[in-house]
Amino acid sequence: EFCSSLAGIMLLEVFLVLGTVIIYFLLSKKKEETLPFKEGWWGKGQKPDTEEDTTVWPFKVETTEEELSDLFRRLDQARFTEPLEDSCFRYGTNSVYLRKVVSYWKNQFNWKKQVEVLNKYPQFKTKIQGIDIHFVHVKPPRLPEGQSAKPLLMVHGWPGSFYEFYKIIPLLTDPASHGLSDEHIFEVICPSIPGYGFSEAPHKKGFNSVSAASVFYELMLRLGFNEFYAQGGDWGWLICTNLAQIAPNHMKGLHLNLASVTNMGFIHLLSILLGRYLPGLFGFQDEDVKRMFPFLKKGLYRILLESGYAHIQATKPDTVGCGLNDSPVGLAAYILEKFSTWTDLKFHNLDDGGLEKKFSLDDLLTNIMIYWVSGCIVSSMRFYKENLQKGIGTQKHERLTVQVPTGIASFPNEVMHTPQAWAKKKYTNIVSFRFMPRGGHFAALEEPQLLAEDILQFVGKVEKEQLWRKK
Amino acid sequence: QTILCLPRSFEYSQKNAVLVPVAALGVGGMLVYWLRSRHTIKTIEMGDGWWGSGERPLKGKEDESIRPFKIETSDKEIEDLHRRLEQARYTPPLEGAAFHYGFNSSYLRKVVAYWRNQFDWRKQVEVLNKYPHFQTTIEGIDIHFIHVKPSYVPHGRAVQPLLMVHGWPGSFYEFYKIIPLLTEPAGHSLNEGDVVFEVICPSIPGYGFSEAPHQKGFDAIATARIFHKLMNRLGFKEYYLQGGDWGSHITASMARMLPQSVKGLHLNLIFISRQSLRRMISVMLGAYVPWLVGLTREDVQRMYPFIQKNIYELLRESGYLHIQATKPDTAGCGLNDSPVGLAAYILEKFSTWTDKSLLHKDDGGLESKYSLDELLTNVMIYWVTSSIVSSMRFYKENFSKDPGLTASARVGVYVPTGIAAFPQELVHTPRAWAKETFKNIVTYSYMPRGGHFAAFEEPKLLAQDIMHFVRKVEQL
Repeated sequence: EFCSSLAGIMLLEVFLVLGTVIIYFLLSKKKEETLPFKEGWWGKGQKPDTEEDTTVWPFKVETTEEELSDLFRRLDQARFTEPLEDSCFRYGTNSVYLRKVVSYWKNQFNWKKQVEVLNKYPQFKTKIQGIDIHFVHVKPPRLPEGQSAKPLLMVHGWPGSFYEFYKIIPLLTDPASHGLSDEHIFEVICPSIPGYGFSEAPHKKGFNSVSAASVFYELMLRLGFNEFYAQGGDWGWLICTNLAQIAPNHMKGLHLNLASVTNMGFIHLLSILLGRYLPGLFGFQDEDVKRMFPFLKKGLYRILLESGYAHIQATKPDTVGCGLNDSPVGLAAYILEKFSTWTDLKFHNLDDGGLEKKFSLDDLLTNIMIYWVSGCIVSSMRFYKENLQKGIGTQKHERLTVQVPTGIASFPNEVMHTPQAWAKKKYTNIVSFRFMPRGGHFAALEEPQLLAEDILQFVGKVEKEQLWRKK
Repeated sequence: QTILCLPRSFEYSQKNAVLVPVAALGVGGMLVYWLRSRHTIKTIEMGDGWWGSGERPLKGKEDESIRPFKIETSDKEIEDLHRRLEQARYTPPLEGAAFHYGFNSSYLRKVVAYWRNQFDWRKQVEVLNKYPHFQTTIEGIDIHFIHVKPSYVPHGRAVQPLLMVHGWPGSFYEFYKIIPLLTEPAGHSLNEGDVVFEVICPSIPGYGFSEAPHQKGFDAIATARIFHKLMNRLGFKEYYLQGGDWGSHITASMARMLPQSVKGLHLNLIFISRQSLRRMISVMLGAYVPWLVGLTREDVQRMYPFIQKNIYELLRESGYLHIQATKPDTAGCGLNDSPVGLAAYILEKFSTWTDKSLLHKDDGGLESKYSLDELLTNVMIYWVTSSIVSSMRFYKENFSKDPGLTASARVGVYVPTGIAAFPQELVHTPRAWAKETFKNIVTYSYMPRGGHFAAFEEPKLLAQDIMHFVRKVEQL
């Protein structure tokens, strides 16, 4: 009798355990799918049989007299078209203002000096998956007793570059000297996306955000970082998100200043139709309603008006980039328009596009020069096709969620606002979501202090409760 | 007896009493309906405009002279072009990309080498000048046009005036091969010898040698009005119209604006902007029971698979339209400064819009249908006139307002219309859909071959269809 009851209990226990395992398996299978690391080889021709060279070598930006005189010759011979009367920036970059920029570019902008500015942070290159990856690696100048620097990967977007982070880097590597708390100090790694700036462009088709995330994952491992934070906006948002999906065990936290949701469902549609009247029902806060509605004007029309560049770059990048790689003035017009409109949409009513309100011409032109001297505008545009050619919301990774602790800084002048209610469907572990008081798309360049503070408070939360262990 | 008669007469008068008002109502109703149906032929308002720089001068009449014009070039212009071609910076294409990412730069290098070393712009200018050019000022801007009359008109034969309007990224030059077929059909063994034309090809303001408008708002309606004024100034009261691309939208607007001046409208592309529920149902049913919704087998072949051909392919090919309709000054800036960039942008269309399968070719199949001389001459027109930006602004001006709401979309086209449907055109519009807007389709032809640039690529086919259409209209 004793045996049978013992056997009975054991059987029950086995059943219970089995049952729990099955239920756990069923419930969690859907969400815990990770994104597989994407192998690839992007070099020219055939992949060689030899092992890849994993050395990391120092890199310096250089310029020559020939490069400068070629640039000046092209600036001198630029042909402009008069704008329509009273059109400001509504038809695109105003050529009257562009002439002023070109004049500054020729006569006052000092590229040699800017190259020295670029070289003030240590830069390196290393070959990954067949192409040379460029990156900036800045370590803190001093570390308080007992503290170690936290590795932070920061990824830029289009039409930006690693240079966008030059103002925020010191706030993160040396916060104490900039009036910020030094509880957390970072060593910052800013790579250039392959095809942008000084990173070699892929020679093969198919290099998308998952490929970039895989390459950057290899980079971080090669640099010896087993655990790190990642920060991004624009394409950096997507690449860092993919990285969180590929390597969740290595990423302590993910910080974003853009959090688009590409997988729209019925609930989203419903919340668009009714969210203005029943915000509470859909989890919208007052600030969300203010930024999103009226939806036609602030959502749909705005997207249509501002996405022409994405449409043509996602379909015919080699065509649209061709002239821009040949005419620095054309390149400047194309890039500057984004720095105007994406900083504040209302700037399109200003004759000068409001460009110098938030940025210096030196900074704007340095970013443009990176595209010019590296000749990378076409390859930078191809990234759009590789990511968007099948349409938005169609890729596998867009349906996967992110479990890594996430912090979102929501800037008011971003082109489209994503409320936390939508973001949390994808980013299931949002630790911090804050409405920023001012600033637009190029947050790191425009409002480095605000962004740094948000990153610091997010990391503070993650570190305090060691949230990365709780996934 | 009278008492017996009374009920009968009462019956009669009762019947009359009922019949007469009913008949009166019936006739009256029909009369009202007929009167009103005559008045439903709405037209677009002509309006007026001023496109010169600054304020419109209050005093003085506009200079209406028609001045002869010749295209010229100079050593300086050619040297500047050559210098830019020599300093061009290219980006190597991705391996195996053909034309899928846009214009393949390996092939572009070859085109530019030809352009620099063999293409003779001076000779091409002479080719351009072989037809008489003129300029005249309308609404404050100089309008350029060519006017070609038949050299020999048989006795008693009427010469039909024909206005042909180009599109983007084309020009008046697209018509150079078709003009002789229309002005001297007999000389080109086109046996439709009883129809002869004098052809007028203007440049849309902002394109080629027509001055660009200085004011905002210059759309197809303004163009239509200006072209009516042009024809009027040339002494024509009634004329035929032909157009594709923007030319189709402009000439259709002309027909809606002043139907009494338009003898006939011939189009090789239809713009139908109104999507409706009925249309969607028609699309869905059309795949299975085309005859039920008025689609022919040829229609089905050209339109289906619907999502693939009309949505995916259209999305793939409309990036240029999206950016030009929103940021023309940005999109055109670099193209006005880099002739190589301009050529890549324009020639990509001459590849893909001629035949969609040319995307798979390393050279975009450009030279299979056109000569490099022809293609580059068209590009040079945009280059020497610096008109790429103003040509792109036309997209913004026309798409700024929701196209379905504009007045023109609601007004039907009642003039006799002829449609030539080319198989490789970007979108196929079946007759069943076209007739919702074009109420008086006289001819609808499925062309055997050819794409978007019909006049340039298949001049003979197009000329034959135009003549076939005009002959039918003249017989009516």
